[in-house]
Amino acid sequence: MIQFFQELGATWLFFLGAVRTLLTTQNNFQPILAQVAFVSYRSLSTVLFAGAFVGAILVLQIDLILAKYDAEIFLGGLNTSTVIREVGPLIISFLLAGKIGAFTAAELGTMRVTEQIDAIECLGTDPVHYLVVPRLCGIILSSIILLFLGLIVSIGGAMLVAWFARDINILEFASSIPKFVSISTFVSALLKALIYGGIVATVSCHRGFTASGGARGVGQAVTQAAIYTNLYILFANFGLSHFLDLVDTLAQSASEAFL
Amino acid sequence: MSQVMIWSDIIQLFFKASLNLFRFNAWRRSEIIHCMAQSGIKSIPIVVLSTAFAGVVVTQQIAWHMNLALHDVSMIPGFTGQFIFRELGIAIPALLLVSKVGASIAAEVGTMKVTEQIDALKLLGIDPVEYLVFPRFIAGILSSICLTLLAVGVTLGCSTLVGVFGYNFSLLEFLNGMKHFIGMIDLVCALVKGVTFGALIPIVSCVYGFSCEGGAQGVGQATTQAVVSATTAIIILDFLITYFFTWVL
Repeated sequence: MIQFFQELGATWLFFLGAVRTLLTTQNNFQPILAQVAFVSYRSLSTVLFAGAFVGAILVLQIDLILAKYDAEIFLGGLNTSTVIREVGPLIISFLLAGKIGAFTAAELGTMRVTEQIDAIECLGTDPVHYLVVPRLCGIILSSIILLFLGLIVSIGGAMLVAWFARDINILEFASSIPKFVSISTFVSALLKALIYGGIVATVSCHRGFTASGGARGVGQAVTQAAIYTNLYILFANFGLSHFLDLVDTLAQSASEAFL
Repeated sequence: MSQVMIWSDIIQLFFKASLNLFRFNAWRRSEIIHCMAQSGIKSIPIVVLSTAFAGVVVTQQIAWHMNLALHDVSMIPGFTGQFIFRELGIAIPALLLVSKVGASIAAEVGTMKVTEQIDALKLLGIDPVEYLVFPRFIAGILSSICLTLLAVGVTLGCSTLVGVFGYNFSLLEFLNGMKHFIGMIDLVCALVKGVTFGALIPIVSCVYGFSCEGGAQGVGQATTQAVVSATTAIIILDFLITYFFTWVL
């Protein structure tokens, strides 16, 4: 238990150190851009594929229950709102953790155990600036890009399944969306994607950066990174959902009071 | 093209491993129990912790949406119960098992491959499928069933707690509402999904482990690839099984 909190604190300090390095150094733009392109390109196919199917699964499940209440007019709105607020950011970050998080942890871990990071330090370059900052920012920024692509694809997949399997055409599906989805829905999805992307990036960079003990240690770092990322994301999801619902309710009551 | 090759390998290995079901010598009980301890018992804490949080979040989300759409939260028990039984209580442990068990199996088998231990097994006349894959296959299926049931129980429990303490249901009211919506078919659906995912994870990981080349770097690559392929396959199979149980049966 104490070890868990020690790890959490070390990860947080690592993140703060990386942010400080980002703010106090120049010439970060080009490497970050390269990382964004790399990460987005590598995980594009998985995100699009999985996104479409997740939308399809959700629409089947929601429709199963709504059909019992004869409330299928709400199908589109409920499905879209659930995808944007909850499922989309979660699935994207799980996939990023499996694909890019594991890759980053393995890459940095291999560099650490083959003493390449020590070599960089010996040459007078800051390894956090040279290796960690581009990866951290790259993963966070590309998680937002991937989120929007994934959301579009999964809503598309849901529409197609609703159309072919349940005979609810696209206009009918879309007509109930405005009732559930507003700008604040997108803002909450964006906030979630930012935070989950930050978790994926920080945990995998930290685990890779502090790996030790040869090839076996690298393997351990990769597995640990994947597990702890998923765990932290689920914790964060709990806190964030609570917080965002609270903000939404407050905003609604405030607008009712003023208008 | 290489994807097609890998998937044909996966199907082939599945049948080869299944053939061992009828071979008495393949059932080495101590090895299977060891694998189950490795893959199943060690994943219990993380599965319980994550599904508990997921259960709380999903109940609150469903209540929030119901409130927005119908201004009425009486549908919460049925909606959450069915959603947890059919989807959430099964998909989350499966995805966690992929990144924990799948990755470790791929790394283990991959390391054996690049250090030529698998060639040594073949040289001794031992079939690596029977010796390495089959115990992990059986252990994967058994521990996936247990973990699925555990996860469904934990998630339902947490969701009930939220309903009782957060939304002023009485305990009996909540359980009754669930009972109206959950039937035997939901349990069958959960078990079918659990067995499918439990069989899929070790097979995919073993195929990537057997196919890896080029030292430690190759093992790392195979592990990542195994996790991604298994995750994608689980999502697609999940869709197919859900479709089958929802609209075909």
